[in-house]
Amino acid sequence: MDLKETIKKLADCSGVSGDEDCAAELALGYLKEFTDDYFIKNKCVFGNFGKREKGKPHILLDAHIDQIGFVVTFITDDGFLKIANCGGIDRRLLLAQQVKILGRREICGVICSIPPHLEKKDDESKVPEYSDICIDIGMTKAEAEKVVSVGDKVVFLQKCEDMLGDRISGAALDDRCGVACLLRAAELLKDETLGCSYTVMFSSQEEVGERGAKIGVYDVDPDIAIAVDVSFALTSDDSELKCGKMGKGAMIGFAPTLDRELSNEMKELASKNDIPYQIEVMNDETGTNADRFSVNAGGVKAVTLSIPLKYMHTPVEVISVSDVENTAKLIAAYIKEVR
Amino acid sequence: MEFASLLKELCALNGTSGDEKNVREFIIEKIKDRCEYKVDNLGNIIAFKKGVKTPKNKLMISAHMDEVGMIITSIKSDGTLTFSPVGGIDARVVIGRNVKIGDIHGVIGSKAVHNLTSAEKNKAAEFSGLYIDIGAESREEAEKLVSLGDYAYFASETLTLGDDMLCSKAIDDRFGCAVMIMLINSELEYDVTFTFVVQEEVGLRGARAAAFTVEPDFALVLEATTAADIPLASGAERCCELGKGPVVSYMDRSTIYDRELFDISKQLAAENNIPWQTKTMIAGGNDSGAIHITKGGVRTLAISIPCRYLHSPASAARLSDMENSLKLTKLMIKKVCEL
Repeated sequence: MDLKETIKKLADCSGVSGDEDCAAELALGYLKEFTDDYFIKNKCVFGNFGKREKGKPHILLDAHIDQIGFVVTFITDDGFLKIANCGGIDRRLLLAQQVKILGRREICGVICSIPPHLEKKDDESKVPEYSDICIDIGMTKAEAEKVVSVGDKVVFLQKCEDMLGDRISGAALDDRCGVACLLRAAELLKDETLGCSYTVMFSSQEEVGERGAKIGVYDVDPDIAIAVDVSFALTSDDSELKCGKMGKGAMIGFAPTLDRELSNEMKELASKNDIPYQIEVMNDETGTNADRFSVNAGGVKAVTLSIPLKYMHTPVEVISVSDVENTAKLIAAYIKEVR
Repeated sequence: MEFASLLKELCALNGTSGDEKNVREFIIEKIKDRCEYKVDNLGNIIAFKKGVKTPKNKLMISAHMDEVGMIITSIKSDGTLTFSPVGGIDARVVIGRNVKIGDIHGVIGSKAVHNLTSAEKNKAAEFSGLYIDIGAESREEAEKLVSLGDYAYFASETLTLGDDMLCSKAIDDRFGCAVMIMLINSELEYDVTFTFVVQEEVGLRGARAAAFTVEPDFALVLEATTAADIPLASGAERCCELGKGPVVSYMDRSTIYDRELFDISKQLAAENNIPWQTKTMIAGGNDSGAIHITKGGVRTLAISIPCRYLHSPASAARLSDMENSLKLTKLMIKKVCEL
């Protein structure tokens, strides 16, 4: 598969938490190439690989399919849309953003702002609250109501763009690059005879509290679970203490809530196979689906592998495709090894 | 020539103050067979359109080619670029955007919202803290592609919102350029000198030189002006409103307009069933400020379309207001020439 193109296609598709259908269908289309046993349940995509047998471990490989966005809460008398956030979004960057409303049909809009010419003293230093945010769709209320309903989701209007080297920018790379990573891992494993069986899950509603993961893992009931998500790559305005580095491979999670043996095993496998990696230490829950996996049923050994990403939860997230490839290689190496 | 598609093409061109070349060449291509033109030392186009008659009073019609943009000021050791605004831009509509530096794609991100302190979340972006990431990993890599003084542009989409609203960067003042191109391509009753001027956004500089050269008796400036008819603003603070026709000011921060011309415009609009409005705030300014005090003085009026989100990547204006502004401009040409 062309990994970069797959990532871009996935990230250009819309799937805000709770409305993942479009992205889920696209991801399912890719997944079908590697297994005949697939389905969508609760907007989570599942694909099973290998025969599940007693004595063989069953592994869950997960990436979340949802993305951050907004939900329409009200249509004003003038036809403007009031919104609330789905997932954590930086309010500092909202003004005058172009957006897409996923209504009865897709329509575009722009988040209102006051131009500098009309600003009052200190206006420029203010960050809007959601109560001050509204979307202009160029319609009257009557026109708006024909295409938009309260509850419709909204995303940043954004397409992936190539940058220097193998870097790309886009709005939903968190976590569509993780989805692409698992598709690539499945491709790497397709002709292998394995000592385990595994399920690929693209889970819904991560951004609002790992909810798809919680019910998805219950159905899968794995022995071991790997959450592939994104984490902070160092940016010019952040601290090296909090961030990994772009282009330096998967960030292997070490945390009180993750299985230490599994984390160490990932590290050793990466070294053994000359796959670049870095360590991400967290002091509590990880904020990824692994937090839900570990406490499923009677307990699951879980680890998080993170793809370094810059400018998380903005319309201009940036990744390096090599990090996705290297994370896929590490996962494939693990699946080949585990018995 | 269809007005909306002409305007969309003009808006898509990148040309901030001092970098108007692309816009100038496009315009020359559209007018070269329909007028006598020259390009002056600053880069203004001065185009003489012969009418059926030569009026007693010399009329100049002017619009500016430049838009707001950004200029690269340094390249940091990590390969990111610092920049300053060219023209008045609120940094809050710059954070979280895509930009183009020539053909190079860049993003203006920010550290992830997860890593912001609560104070940082509520502190608006400032230019001093923003930088452009083109995907370069080092200063050396970036220096091969970007030079200090290069210009950067918003890379937003040109959209139609609802039936009638155009949403794009640079409507200020490609609207005026589009109207002048249409007029030059039509048959005029009286001779008119059209000036497509540079450097409005950095102090009405091109118009100053152009008016000196043309030495008109009367001037009409075609512009896009600040509308704030959004839910955040009420009463007089809305300044002017979309859909209510051309905006004619009696005074702004650069000019006290010719009162007779102001009254004539209102009367002509009423006689011809053209909606007409004035501003409810003394705010902003335009090339009239330079033109009306040229040499011994020029009787000047500005005819503007109301435009929301001016100086952002996504300004918004209605085609119906544009059509009505074109109508009113044609009527004003005749009236002024016969004064």
